[in-house]
Amino acid sequence: MIGSYLLARRAVLVAAAIAVALLPVLFSTYVTSAIALPTLWVGLCAASLTFLASYGGMVSLAQTGLFGVAGLLTATLSVEAGLDPWLAALIGVLAATGVGLLFGALASSSTGTYFLMITLALAEISYYLFSAVPAFGLHEGINGVFPPRVLGDPVLHPTTIYYFILALCAAVYLFLRYLVRTPFGIALQGVRDDPLRMTALGYNVRMHRTIAFAIGAAIAGVAGVLSAWTNTRISADSISLNVTISVLEAAVIGGLFRLEGAWVGAFALTILSIYGPAFSDRYATGIGAIFLAIVLLSPGGLVGLAAAVDGRLRGLLASRAVPDAMGPSPSPPAAGG
Amino acid sequence: MAEPIIRLRNLSKSFAGVHAVQSVDLEVAPGERRAVLGPNGAGKTTLFNLIAGAELPSGGSVELFGRDVTYLPAWRRTRLGLARTFQTSRVLAGLSVEDNLYLAALGAVGGHLRLVRNGRDRELRERARRTAERVALADRLGAPARDLSHGEQRQLEVGLAVAAEPRLMLLDEPAAGLSRAERQLLTQLLLSFERSLTLVIIEHDMDVALTVAERVTIMHYGKIVVEGTPAEIRADQRVHDIYLGRTNAA
Repeated sequence: MIGSYLLARRAVLVAAAIAVALLPVLFSTYVTSAIALPTLWVGLCAASLTFLASYGGMVSLAQTGLFGVAGLLTATLSVEAGLDPWLAALIGVLAATGVGLLFGALASSSTGTYFLMITLALAEISYYLFSAVPAFGLHEGINGVFPPRVLGDPVLHPTTIYYFILALCAAVYLFLRYLVRTPFGIALQGVRDDPLRMTALGYNVRMHRTIAFAIGAAIAGVAGVLSAWTNTRISADSISLNVTISVLEAAVIGGLFRLEGAWVGAFALTILSIYGPAFSDRYATGIGAIFLAIVLLSPGGLVGLAAAVDGRLRGLLASRAVPDAMGPSPSPPAAGG
Repeated sequence: MAEPIIRLRNLSKSFAGVHAVQSVDLEVAPGERRAVLGPNGAGKTTLFNLIAGAELPSGGSVELFGRDVTYLPAWRRTRLGLARTFQTSRVLAGLSVEDNLYLAALGAVGGHLRLVRNGRDRELRERARRTAERVALADRLGAPARDLSHGEQRQLEVGLAVAAEPRLMLLDEPAAGLSRAERQLLTQLLLSFERSLTLVIIEHDMDVALTVAERVTIMHYGKIVVEGTPAEIRADQRVHDIYLGRTNAA
């Protein structure tokens, strides 16, 4: 019984891995460009938030602002100034990282709700700043932002850029998994758990938070560049409050305690926003209801929910395999993480 | 007398008109074991916070290791060789016992922003495991700190100070809430420290405090009332009055 469950579980995971690996071959161009690409870059932006929240204890709403710094700068440099797209992207991400250092320095002395409010204010400042500066296209935005030629057309031939972004997301994911086991990363988790204790242990807590914030900013910046490239346009409205909330929703729906949750949440949100309107013009209410249900019922998000269900099933099946002899069934592992 | 490890001059701290610490002068010699005693609210923990840099004084100065540190941030004082524990355990709940102790060791030596592990970390991990043995947590290395019992969290709290290998250790009620057996274990540990370490301990448990300490400072209403050897303190009428509540006698 448990054997066949584990087999089925493995089959599902392998099938999902194959679907991701061969997505442009297995599915239509539309699915690749309209569902997979947004899932990847929204997931990347959400992952920057998940990283800060789960390892640094910083729920940041400024990620879209930083996303916008990189995206809008890359767009204006490549379209208006005619810079090579790679160079424009590099400058964009570096600028987002620099602004991230500044934002981080401003926000790093506060925690909890105050941190949330300061980062919200920074996101709003970015939005209104970009809405008012003509060089960044105002609300009309900058159109005709194409990725480097080698990555192909993101709408008509998205295969190459899909693999490029998939590899980038995988690299960021692996980097963050590595980062949290380095001296810097372990200390960051210490800062998350008890800043006062970490100060007493000899750590410059503000500096630590600021640098973590800048790392999150660099990742959000990469997501901003990818968004401009795959949409071939970007505007101030790409970083409005609605988008800020969407990124937060993706991170929370997927699971704020696990990095992979960011992409799961981004996928769920992308599907809902594409197919939701066909069912009802109140689909946004549906997203809100799902968000609420997740926050109340499964704080670990969809990934946490899946892990809890998996643990419970395994516990149940294992206890059946050894009938009564072992006494009470083993308790399932806790949800979330 | 050698240059003192701690020298407080006319140190004061007020919170909204309450004088938590008033004009305290205090010197602690290298290698000394000093207990700071006094009823609740006497200003003992505030005094620790001023020495460790968790709070800034309203007046006066703090010297550590012969250096004026009155306005030096807390984390820099740790880097000079100070370690402290807290009255209520402040362990890093989401991290394992080993990671807690590793961070304590790393905190004192620096390299906090390193993005690669190196030979230094192997040494520090080794030190973390040795410390875990000293505070009787060797079999709990992999457990998240939040899963530890109250007594084990107290042991880890002391372990965090031990792992830093400081020159000066401030222990704030390390025996609070411990069982009799655990208190004996703690006393043994405190007695095992080398003389290169200077120890200042706030403790309500007289068995622990007077076994470990060679000199005792009694505080009351933010002031130092009397200072002496454990024997002198036991015999001092003012101390008896304070503990029996005859406050105006002080």
